[in-house]
Amino acid sequence: MSRSTATTFLVLSLAGCVAGVAGCQGNRSEEPPVHLIQNMDFQSRYDAQEENPFFQPVDCANALNHDCKGRAARAPVPGTVAVGFLKDDDELHRGRGADGRLFDRLPSSIPLTPALLDRGQQRYNIYCQPCHDESGGGKGIATLRGGGFKVQPANLQDPRLRAMPLAYFYDVIVNGKGTMLSYAAQIPVKDRWAIAAWVRTLQAARTPSEGK
Amino acid sequence: MPAIFPRWTNKIPLAIGVLAPLALAGAVGGIWYYFSPKFTDAGYRPRQPVPFSHKLHAGDMGMDCRYCHNTVERAAHAAIPPAQTCMNCHSLVKTESPKLKLVRDSYTTDEPIPWVRVHQLPDYAFFDHRPHLAAGVGCSSCHGRIDQMTIVEMDQPLSMGWCLDCHRDPEPSLRPRDQITNMLWDPAVDGKNYDAAKDPSRTRQVNPPEHCSGCHR
Ligand code: HEC
Ligand code: HEC
Ligand code: HEC
Ligand code: HEC
Ligand code: HEC
Ligand code: HEC
Repeated sequence: MSRSTATTFLVLSLAGCVAGVAGCQGNRSEEPPVHLIQNMDFQSRYDAQEENPFFQPVDCANALNHDCKGRAARAPVPGTVAVGFLKDDDELHRGRGADGRLFDRLPSSIPLTPALLDRGQQRYNIYCQPCHDESGGGKGIATLRGGGFKVQPANLQDPRLRAMPLAYFYDVIVNGKGTMLSYAAQIPVKDRWAIAAWVRTLQAARTPSEGK
Repeated sequence: MPAIFPRWTNKIPLAIGVLAPLALAGAVGGIWYYFSPKFTDAGYRPRQPVPFSHKLHAGDMGMDCRYCHNTVERAAHAAIPPAQTCMNCHSLVKTESPKLKLVRDSYTTDEPIPWVRVHQLPDYAFFDHRPHLAAGVGCSSCHGRIDQMTIVEMDQPLSMGWCLDCHRDPEPSLRPRDQITNMLWDPAVDGKNYDAAKDPSRTRQVNPPEHCSGCHR
């Protein structure tokens, strides 16, 4: 072996070793990505849901009634409402008529259209179907696993629930019921009504005599 | 008079001539391969404080992404769910599991769960989920088969070149807009039978920005 072939061999095997240690593209790693030149990757502003050490628990004693858990997003001061977020429409936001009772119709600002029912079906399958299953029977896939639920989700085809006014389903979504927690944070107002309309449709579909 | 340089030194120019291009090619190749975000970023898979598995929840149980990432269609940011979303179920199932202790604590004390962020663009690049989902780009085009991941990892490099590859030719990545969260919809297979230009539910042609201020604003 001449010297130059030996050197070539050495260089190649060295490159091989580096490649072996460094791995291939797309290799899994728990180490954060290395960026040598960080230019302006991290600017002095906060993204949604980022941590802000300024509000760390150290400050809790002096935090008055502010959130002191290190969130960059600040919670509104208790007892205040942001402009435009006051839910003052009893009909739309609580499903209650002038007499203060749940009514059996959609609020007047939301017309019943095929698009609304499509939307309701889609949203029902996202938010309710894991527990109540696609037809409302209460045997959703999440309840069949991991030892089962402590309390079975209600069967939406139950005669008691069929007799409930439409706004009752809106009310359950907003306030929860028994062991079912509130879905108000996950589902915007209009979608809640769409889901309520879809639940009624499911019930009607299972009723042999009257349709709606 | 003996030679000042021994005989083998005659080969030095030749060796340099051969090795230098090799070394240069090696350096170029190495930088091309190893300095690319495909190497530095893709595959990042941090360990999370709670061993939450998308494979179990989104894959086996078939939960829709939007059950948890419910702001994804309404906001730029696809929110990581708060502990209450987990407690919807975990107040009723696996209530004693030690793996979920952090979630239960977070629910009662309001202490945030310190999830480790996986995908992060530099602050100077602007990204918004809304127009992409409204245009019918599926989650799996950018995040890979999340429903098969026990631990979330970065599937794509999220580099500028990667964004532009799609922006220059978005049609192959488009799908019907009610299929965006469907992980089984494969653009390579199902996409053949779908033509975005003929979809009646679309009112306009998609027009992704290629000019700098589209993403650096
Ligand atoms: C995490 C599982 C889960 C999800 C998701 C879920 N529910 Fe429930 N639901 C339950 C359980 C459990 C009950 C029984 C509560 C009880 O009796 O303590 C219930 C009860 C109900 C009831 C009956 C209330 C009564 O008067 O007994 C209605 C109506 C209802 N759910 C509607 C919905 C709607 C609409 C959605 C979708 C937005 C939904 N649920 C999503 C678990 C769930
Ligand atoms: C049961 C709730 C739940 C469902 C359903 C769910 N996710 Fe997640 N997802 C989470 C949580 C919690 C995290 C944060 C922890 C982690 O990264 O594993 C997360 C993290 C992620 C991340 C990484 C975020 C980051 O830090 O960059 C992506 C991407 C993601 N999810 C996409 C999806 C997609 C796509 C689907 C639908 C197939 C989906 N998720 C369904 C709860 C959920
Ligand atoms: C729709 C209901 C539902 C929601 C919402 C949900 N889970 Fe689960 N999760 C389950 C079920 C059911 C199991 C048990 C599955 C099994 O063992 O087959 C489970 C199992 C788990 C386990 C494994 C527990 C163990 O001891 O093996 C972890 C960890 C977990 N979930 C975390 C989370 C987190 C974190 C969230 C919130 C982002 C969440 N889950 C939201 C239904 C849910
Ligand atoms: C066009 C590509 C693309 C599509 C489609 C897409 N994402 Fe993302 N996603 C990204 C990028 C890029 C980021 C990083 C954003 C950042 O750092 O600001 C991200 C971040 C996230 C995060 C982390 C939180 C955040 O917003 O930074 C979650 C969770 C997530 N995506 C979920 C989803 C889900 C669920 C879907 C489908 C409904 C989806 N994504 C569709 C590109 C995409
Ligand atoms: C798989 C395809 C795909 C990828 C990858 C992708 N985009 Fe897009 N993007 C689109 C499409 C399609 C549109 C056009 C939407 C429309 O015209 O309705 C779009 C639109 C946009 C817009 C314009 C939004 C507006 O408000 O008009 C921005 C900004 C953007 N993308 C940023 C990014 C960034 C940053 C990345 C990389 C991290 C990225 N995109 C990756 C497909 C993609
Ligand atoms: C589709 C969105 C998009 C468009 C259009 C775009 N960029 Fe970018 N650009 C990005 C993203 C995303 C990154 C961050 C890439 C990364 O994280 O590696 C970036 C990074 C950069 C960087 C920093 C590179 C580094 O590694 O430091 C420069 C410089 C840049 N872009 C210039 C431009 C210029 C000039 C144009 C117009 C010709 C342009 N960009 C158009 C999305 C875009």
